[in-house]
Amino acid sequence: MKRSTTLLALVLASALALPTAMQAQELRVGFTLDALTLDPANHRNRETETIIRNMFDGLVTRDSDMNVVPELAESWTAIDPTTYEFKLRPGVTFHDGSPLTAADVKFSLDRLTKENAMGGQTSPRQSLLGPLKEVVVVDDLTVRLVLESPWPILPAMLPFQEMVSQAHVEAIGQEGMAEGVNGTGPFKLVEWRKGDSVIMERFDGYYGGATDISPTGKACVERVIFKVIPENSSRVAALLAGDVHIINSLPSHLVAQVEANPDTKVMAVNGTRTSYIALNNQTGPFADIRVRRALAHAVDRELIVDKILNGKATLTNGILSPDAFGKNDNLPTYEYDVDKAKALLAEAGYPDGLTVTLDVDGANKEIAEAISAVASKGGFQINVVVGEGSMLTTRFRTKGEPIDGQMWLTSWGNGSLDPVGIFVPTHRTADRGNSSGYSNVEVDALLDAANVETDRSVRADLYGKAEAMVNADLPKLYLWVAQDLYGVSTKLTGWKPSSDSRINLHDACLN
Amino acid sequence: MTTVTHWTGDAGTAKSETLFQRNMKLFASNRLSIFFLFITLGFVFMAVAAPLIAPHDPSDADLFRRLLPPAWMEGGDWSFPLGCDALGRDILSRIIYGSRVSIFIGATVILVATTIGVLAGLAAGYLRGWVDIVISRLVDILLGFPYLIFAIALIAMTGPGLQNIVLALAYKEWVIPCRVVRGETLATSGVEYVEAARAMGASRSDIMLREILPNILSPVLVVSTVRMAHVIILEASLSFLGLGVQPPMASWGSMVADGRSFMLQEWWLSTFPGLAILLLVLSINVVSQGLRDAFDPRFHD
Amino acid sequence: MSVGKFIERLLQLIPVLLGVSIIVFVMMLFTPGDPVAIMLGDQHVTEELENALRHDMGLDLPPHQRFFKFLSNALTLDFGLSYYHRQPVWDVIASRLPATIELSLAALVFALVVSIPLGVLAAVHKNSLLDRIATVTSLFGVSLPGFWFGILLIIFFAVNMHWLPVAGRAGFESEVAPITHLLLVDSLLRGRIDAFWDALRHLILPTITLGLPMASILTRVTRASMLDVLNRDYITFAEAKGLSKTKILIKHALKNALIPTVTVAAIETGSLLGGNMVVETVFGWPGLGRLVVESIFVRNYPLIQAAVLFYAVTYVMLNFFADILYTMLNPRVKL
Repeated sequence: MKRSTTLLALVLASALALPTAMQAQELRVGFTLDALTLDPANHRNRETETIIRNMFDGLVTRDSDMNVVPELAESWTAIDPTTYEFKLRPGVTFHDGSPLTAADVKFSLDRLTKENAMGGQTSPRQSLLGPLKEVVVVDDLTVRLVLESPWPILPAMLPFQEMVSQAHVEAIGQEGMAEGVNGTGPFKLVEWRKGDSVIMERFDGYYGGATDISPTGKACVERVIFKVIPENSSRVAALLAGDVHIINSLPSHLVAQVEANPDTKVMAVNGTRTSYIALNNQTGPFADIRVRRALAHAVDRELIVDKILNGKATLTNGILSPDAFGKNDNLPTYEYDVDKAKALLAEAGYPDGLTVTLDVDGANKEIAEAISAVASKGGFQINVVVGEGSMLTTRFRTKGEPIDGQMWLTSWGNGSLDPVGIFVPTHRTADRGNSSGYSNVEVDALLDAANVETDRSVRADLYGKAEAMVNADLPKLYLWVAQDLYGVSTKLTGWKPSSDSRINLHDACLN
Repeated sequence: MTTVTHWTGDAGTAKSETLFQRNMKLFASNRLSIFFLFITLGFVFMAVAAPLIAPHDPSDADLFRRLLPPAWMEGGDWSFPLGCDALGRDILSRIIYGSRVSIFIGATVILVATTIGVLAGLAAGYLRGWVDIVISRLVDILLGFPYLIFAIALIAMTGPGLQNIVLALAYKEWVIPCRVVRGETLATSGVEYVEAARAMGASRSDIMLREILPNILSPVLVVSTVRMAHVIILEASLSFLGLGVQPPMASWGSMVADGRSFMLQEWWLSTFPGLAILLLVLSINVVSQGLRDAFDPRFHD
Repeated sequence: MSVGKFIERLLQLIPVLLGVSIIVFVMMLFTPGDPVAIMLGDQHVTEELENALRHDMGLDLPPHQRFFKFLSNALTLDFGLSYYHRQPVWDVIASRLPATIELSLAALVFALVVSIPLGVLAAVHKNSLLDRIATVTSLFGVSLPGFWFGILLIIFFAVNMHWLPVAGRAGFESEVAPITHLLLVDSLLRGRIDAFWDALRHLILPTITLGLPMASILTRVTRASMLDVLNRDYITFAEAKGLSKTKILIKHALKNALIPTVTVAAIETGSLLGGNMVVETVFGWPGLGRLVVESIFVRNYPLIQAAVLFYAVTYVMLNFFADILYTMLNPRVKL
């Protein structure tokens, strides 16, 4: 007992004596999840993307207003609706010093799109490039992307498709790619401690990054560490203690505490993820439009945003986020109105109220329980059942087959901010994200027309019309687009959170 | 205590009853154990009478009471003595209702496991031969799995829920009383009164249930109490990991888990339910220790 | 112990290990959902490709053949692909293993360092204040829910006092080139005292949380066996001969009293493995336990199965070594 106490005292004393002196130019990010792999072609995971996008660049990127701008490409032109030509920047090198060529670009894109192109496996990102049929090398610094059908959003889908070195992939093989990084990004890999951290250092041979986003040149900080801290409180505590400079996913109830600390502040950005409750339109009580509308009147969305999300969310009356292309700003709101809800329920044959089951995954449990609590006044007795995400996905996203369940609180992210990435999959008949079994041929026709329409304003109109129809049909109860909250150190400059959930550390500096 | 009466009721012979009674008297003379026995019984009462004593409905949420602090703190309210959780539900009421889950699962698992374990242990120890080989091998194999991992693997397969948790825990729990009973039976089956009964032509089941069983009750009782404490912690751990009973049912483990993301400021969310687990488990452990001290022949002199 | 006995004992492991793998296999059979569908996620493939996959994974075989395939694969550490990580299951497990081993060893050392002196002193000064404190502490130690105690430790030592880090395995400056992959060992081998302290600071709270129940049990065991030994004839005899008390304690009593402690410690090391899941989750420790818990929520079944099998085999082997150790230390016991 005595010996161990002394030992403990010794350890504590030394811990105090050796304050963890930070190297001035080391930037640390407290991050929710570890990367699944460091191979940019072999995942479809937001957190993985966020981490590795600092080591790999793409042909194009987005500026702070979410406009697509050239990055590794110098420029691009649509030669015709199905052919895009990209000119590469000269003088771009990989971390190993070898130059980036058009052949590498073709190789990288083929790896994403061709069957079995990754050592026998097919990339899980294949469908992100839709109708991309072929990549043609024109000369050393020119490639053409040939599409099967017109697809105006091709550039918007490219920021998250990163370029790899053909020679490197061939040298280390498919399995080696999981940990062997040789990109063109501003940072190169030092070490990946799985489950714990990804350590990177500045790549001094960096070509400078997108010319449209200043400053250009090599990164400001010398080292970057993504430290995996899954637990919310721990992540915030690490920020408050000064151990990390940026944390993602700041829980809204801790905003006040981070703001109260003189060394930290909160940064928020409109997210691109729309939260909604998918309602089973095929069978059961929600097949009746009156019940769906009753629910919309029964859920006090404002109260939940105010109390649970600390006001850090924007209510939405449709699937598109307020920042999305083609957003219809004139959609009617289903106001919170208990009497209206009860009247609609009675009209639909439920004068004594209705008991329903709301499925939800663990992460959204608190919101689901809050919805259940507020909806009871409007005649809905909602039982919350916590399930596991992928199980719920198979039950609800059935691609037109019968849905197993009544309501599901979920969300859909849309990094491209184009309706193609969210409106089509969640509302077109039998599409992959249509978790309501919703089918409206007129909406389908509008979405299909918009998909190939190259005139921007005509295209926006088509989406606007479709949104109005969907708002009347109400296949889902649209909730809100929550802000992404970050806690940052006041020492940090040059960094802003980004709507597409990227944490781009190229311009970040520490004072 | 219910377990105790149950077992004395089963004990057939006068001889063993006196031994058992002597043990119980010894136990009753230990004031510390009796004190904690009353605390344990208090929890049982709380579980049974939850609707009568809980000041509020445990799932009555009100966002306007979100994260209300305990009554003695600034902003607290005496109608919610221990404060409210993230949905504005009364923490005290949830703790009171949560005792139902802990005690129900603890008691059911132990009851099922002890019944199966005792029967299997008696059979293996007395009948020997292939019965013993089969049972002992099964015991060895099940002992090969760390407990929590076995339960987690089963629940990953069957999904969470009250019934599945009881099953997942009982599947392995019976092994422990079984081992104890088998050993005791082996030691007992050679002694005089068993030999005598056998000579008098008693059937094998008679010998096992009437002669051997009453004499091995004491170790069984000690083992079941200490295991019950363990099972309660396991259930709480499963709930903490999100594999326990499902909302809106309140369970102590999931209350601690829900409160975890509020630990920087709203410490009361996880502190109080954790204290409840500690107090109940500690009480059962003290009682169990008292029983062991009373039953262990080395302490009898 | 003779070599023959040892081999005999070793052979007895085979039916147990076989039984363990049968149980894991049966769990796998009854796992809900189609493995191919889970693996493919939302990728669209042709039915032919799906059937080819099914065939590759041996899912079209009858159960007994599947079992043999599973067994022979398991012997070569081939547990298939972790669809979630898109890497071989064993690679993912192996990458998380050192963290778990380091924490478990630290907890074991902590438990031994605390429990042996405490148990011995409690026995020597029976019924003293120290003895009572030891008894009460060990009762608390086995009654504390680890997940809750860990949170309390974090709140106090990390959040309020800022003495120790909140979570994780290592700080930021402390990367050292791996040799054994155990940070404490590697940092010493590389002469990086700073990294050693850093790793140690991260280890303290999870080690206490994980090791406390074991320390409590071992304190009890040590105390009981020490009391037992102190009452034996040869101790009384040695006292009569006039040997100094300390000398008797160390030379005669301790040696014999520690036999049960060591045996129980070996067995309890196995149960540390189970505790890892909870403690690693609370402290964000990048080990196997947390990986398994995360895998449950993404239905990463191949990984769960491999981990369960791995845990079970480790557990069986630890118990085996505990047995051997006990026999070697205690010549009176015959196998």
